[in-house]
Amino acid sequence: MDMNRTKRNVNAFGMYFTRHLRLVGNAIKHSTIAAKISMVIFGFAHFLRLQFLRGVALLAGEVGLLYVIFGFGWQYLSKMGTLGTSMGGYNPDGTISYGDNSFFILLYGILAVLAIFALIVLWCINIVDNYNCEKKLSEGRTLPRNIDDWRNLFDKNFAQTILTIPVLGIFVFTVIPIIFMICIAFTNYDKDHTPPAALFTWVGLENFKKIFDFGGMGLGSTFFRVLGWTLIWALFATFLNYFLGMAVAILINRKGIKFKRLWRTILVTTIAVPQIVSLLYIGKLFAADGLINLFLKNQGLITNPIPFWTNANYARVLIIIINLWVGIPYMMLIATGLLLNIPADLYESARIDGASAFQMFRKITLPYMMFVTGPFLLTSYIGNLNNFNVIYLLNSGQPKSMSLVNGAGSTDLLVTWLYTVTVTNNDYKTAAVIGIMVFLVTSVISLIVYGMLPSIKNEEGFQ
Amino acid sequence: MKRKLLSLALSAGLVASSLTSLAGCGKATGEIKIWVAENVVEFTKTQVAAFQQANPEYSGYTIIVEPVGEGDAATNMVTDVEAGADIYGFPQDQLSRLVAAQAITPIGEADSAWVAEQNDAGAVGAAKVGDVTYAYPITSDNGYFLYYDSSVISDPSTLEGIVADCEKAGKSFYMEINSGWYQPAFFFGDNGCTLTYDTDSTGAFTACNSNYASDAGVVALKNIIALHKSPAFVNGSSISNATNVGAIVDGTWDSGAAKDLFGDNYAAAKLPTVGGVQLSGFGGFKLLGVKPQTDKDRLEACKAIAKFLSSAEVQLARYDEVGWGPSNLTAQASDKVSSDAALSALGQQLAFTIPQGQYPSDYWSLATALGDSILAGDYDNASDAELLQVLQDFQDTCNSYAQ
Amino acid sequence: MMSRKQKIGNALAYIVLVIISFIWLFPFVGLVLQSFRSYKLEPGGMVGYLVPKHFSLDSYIYLFSGESQFPKWYMNTMIIALCVSAGVTVISICVAYALSRFRFPGRQFLMKTWLVLGMFPGFLTMICLYFLLKIMGLTQAGAIPGLILVGVASSGMSYYVSKGYFDTIPLSLDEAARIDGASRAQIMFHMILPLSKPVIIYTALVAFMGPWCDYIFASYIAFGHSASYNVAIALRNWVWTNDYQGFFTRFCAAGIIVAVPVTVLFMFLQKYYVEGITGGAVKG
Repeated sequence: MDMNRTKRNVNAFGMYFTRHLRLVGNAIKHSTIAAKISMVIFGFAHFLRLQFLRGVALLAGEVGLLYVIFGFGWQYLSKMGTLGTSMGGYNPDGTISYGDNSFFILLYGILAVLAIFALIVLWCINIVDNYNCEKKLSEGRTLPRNIDDWRNLFDKNFAQTILTIPVLGIFVFTVIPIIFMICIAFTNYDKDHTPPAALFTWVGLENFKKIFDFGGMGLGSTFFRVLGWTLIWALFATFLNYFLGMAVAILINRKGIKFKRLWRTILVTTIAVPQIVSLLYIGKLFAADGLINLFLKNQGLITNPIPFWTNANYARVLIIIINLWVGIPYMMLIATGLLLNIPADLYESARIDGASAFQMFRKITLPYMMFVTGPFLLTSYIGNLNNFNVIYLLNSGQPKSMSLVNGAGSTDLLVTWLYTVTVTNNDYKTAAVIGIMVFLVTSVISLIVYGMLPSIKNEEGFQ
Repeated sequence: MKRKLLSLALSAGLVASSLTSLAGCGKATGEIKIWVAENVVEFTKTQVAAFQQANPEYSGYTIIVEPVGEGDAATNMVTDVEAGADIYGFPQDQLSRLVAAQAITPIGEADSAWVAEQNDAGAVGAAKVGDVTYAYPITSDNGYFLYYDSSVISDPSTLEGIVADCEKAGKSFYMEINSGWYQPAFFFGDNGCTLTYDTDSTGAFTACNSNYASDAGVVALKNIIALHKSPAFVNGSSISNATNVGAIVDGTWDSGAAKDLFGDNYAAAKLPTVGGVQLSGFGGFKLLGVKPQTDKDRLEACKAIAKFLSSAEVQLARYDEVGWGPSNLTAQASDKVSSDAALSALGQQLAFTIPQGQYPSDYWSLATALGDSILAGDYDNASDAELLQVLQDFQDTCNSYAQ
Repeated sequence: MMSRKQKIGNALAYIVLVIISFIWLFPFVGLVLQSFRSYKLEPGGMVGYLVPKHFSLDSYIYLFSGESQFPKWYMNTMIIALCVSAGVTVISICVAYALSRFRFPGRQFLMKTWLVLGMFPGFLTMICLYFLLKIMGLTQAGAIPGLILVGVASSGMSYYVSKGYFDTIPLSLDEAARIDGASRAQIMFHMILPLSKPVIIYTALVAFMGPWCDYIFASYIAFGHSASYNVAIALRNWVWTNDYQGFFTRFCAAGIIVAVPVTVLFMFLQKYYVEGITGGAVKG
């Protein structure tokens, strides 16, 4: 069934594409002289028709993109195939001359390719709009005036207006860097090939092979072990926080409990202290010479310190527990808000029917919470998959293990491991491959869950 | 475009500056950025100002001193050489990485000779990769030794005695056995093992010389395991983070904190023996590097400043100010330096250490992995044969880091 | 009248609450106590006891006496947090509003892509972002505007909570207003946004808290230019580099100072925080 859907999507996309291609072809065939000129000078025909707003927008777009392409893009674009050939070096007088810089060639090259693509799209928009306008004129209809165009920005096209800046922002600061890093996965960019000292170049699928290499030095077993722990961690971190947070909220909300505000405030104060401070302090509490071990030792309960951080299993459990300390206050707040909204008569009638407290929780509270907090659970699961702070600040992924390669530790999540691989080892090519794999795993999980959420299926339920 | 404009502006500036210098009334100008550790920022500022006063030909440069930790400095330089500092301090183990990233310039024949003549042999070796000298040594104190509380430890000469004293007093003995830097103390020297790497002059690793997988290695490993089993042992090497110190293996950078902590009972000694054999370790050095420059005048200016900052009188002044042990032979011979408790402990220890060469970054995480496995108790009950296998794996992995 | 069973239940609940409060407050109290320990009369590093032997304000005095650039770093962070908070609120409210109220081609595609894009691990793109910002001159001395730009630019992807909120406001309101001749922009600004105060405050509050903890990307962008540091970079340096010995009490004091604005905001805006994130349920 899914196969069919994918096929349908592909077909729909193909049709969309060919229809637009035909539109453009048609527009070219029927272009006036003014429209032909505006194939070179965008917006020319619009100016003639006094559609200044559109004309200025098109022309400004063209000038900007041409500047990117010819201003600096061109010289780098021509070297994209090799990512540079000329090496720099020291001159006899001790100064240095720099050669090609693979990093900039790739980065500017990508910018230039994207600019060319945008220019083509703009060109198509330009001529299709010319064609539509001319057609309207020849049919004797009036064109939208500038003031209409302007008004439409705040009415008919209001969605596009308010989405423009966010879309651009995401494109420049999220999409372009991601495209860049995906490209890096196909190069040999690492500490031995760091510009400007050395060049890096394309190596095809070489790096991907390593991740499925399960030999002694291969990445494979390390990757899958870290991935496994990441998934388990996120599961525990999300659901334990969720249920215990809810339990605390129910406890505070209990009839007959006084000072509700005080209990909540006590929990919430912990949110305010920056994690870099609070987690470091908590981490130290459990150290071999931390307060807890010293206390137990002084009481004569232990002779050797409990290896909270040095034993992999202890460390994993401890991290999950400390994460409760971090997460329960947030969940408690949310659950409190929700619990107050469950209609009280539901509980009342259940009580009359003789339901126990647990039955009421299972039949009323839980389904209600699950429905409302589904999206929240999904985002917090994803957040936990990439939860850097808790792991890094508590024990930096340690203990490390002889059976893991590339600096991975037993409590490392994929993202903390990536930090080691990029920042400490400068092994960008491996990091890019791991990143792509992380991305695939998390996005598949979340898209599946996303589709299953009742609140998404039933998006307009409330409206 | 921007880069083009920039280079245009630069070359215009170059022409202008060479014209003015031809006219004989101008000086090279520009900004020279220096990165040093936080505690010597003010010191460096004063010294640089004095330097510019004494050398008016360099007074046209604006010199900026920023606090950037020595480990961070190397990482930053490798990330983006262009934005990095022109002169920066770093621990010597970062050198090959900097050389490989062309973030450090060879200092030329004249200065190489000067460095070789002024500094102790270890420091001179540390500033070299292959046969090329890349840096100006500023300290010879980047090694470790023992700080202890003399009210707790009666005899600091054997590890067994230290541990027993700590156990008795309810205090702890600290040593960071999961660090590739401290761990070799058990293996190197008279303990009978080595682990070094050969590099070529571009900073690439060509060979690994190691004999960890041997009977001597097994003995060393067993010594570490025995230490870890003691209730008094704590893994760690920072006095500031240690809460229950009886004795700690640490370096001179912590001498201030050690004096604060121990008060009147402050004492320092060379590392103890274990099973009758002296613990070894690394002798390390701090260096000043100069970033490769495209302009000749600037290069000369940077080199002159770096040379000055590593000279005998500045090293001595730096010792007075922050207690860093000089690498300069003249400075080392001064009375103040030779009578310093921490430095003389380090000096005694130095006889048993090997000068720290270059190690690939993977080595450090591998050593941490070995140490963490010991700390986790993985080898607590292992037989000799099993331990030998562990060391064999360790050695094979070390070998694989050299091409 | 309370039944016996209920009384026992309440007593148990109080016991549990007291234990919970103890666990949650312990690190907090510990940090406060450490921050009042004199680093001049006692070791300034970590110690094995909880209650200082000499209470003093030494650490706080250090922070603000001009010995360090802490006030500057604090202001930097405050500026970043305020700007990011304002920018993120505007952008993510716009996105959420558009996705919730309008149906246009490509909407589903945008929603799903953004959901998925948010999962790409940030460290990978850090080096690329650094050089993008460097082209624009927004690193080192320009790091503060650079951090604000990056913080705001990608915030459109976190439309999730606000969209959920807008989804619960009935569309019939919009339709009635359109019949009265209001433009879509007018509907947004004059009708829906005033109804959405909780989610706006929620978004602003969450965005405000972020920059106080950013030590990795911020130090990458500042690249050794100490005047552009934020508080978190300084905190990280104080405990993770060898150059700073005995800075632990100062570290704790700085943490407490950072906690002040966030605590104050949270105290006053807690209600909106809850309503913002649970808006769907409130109306449902």
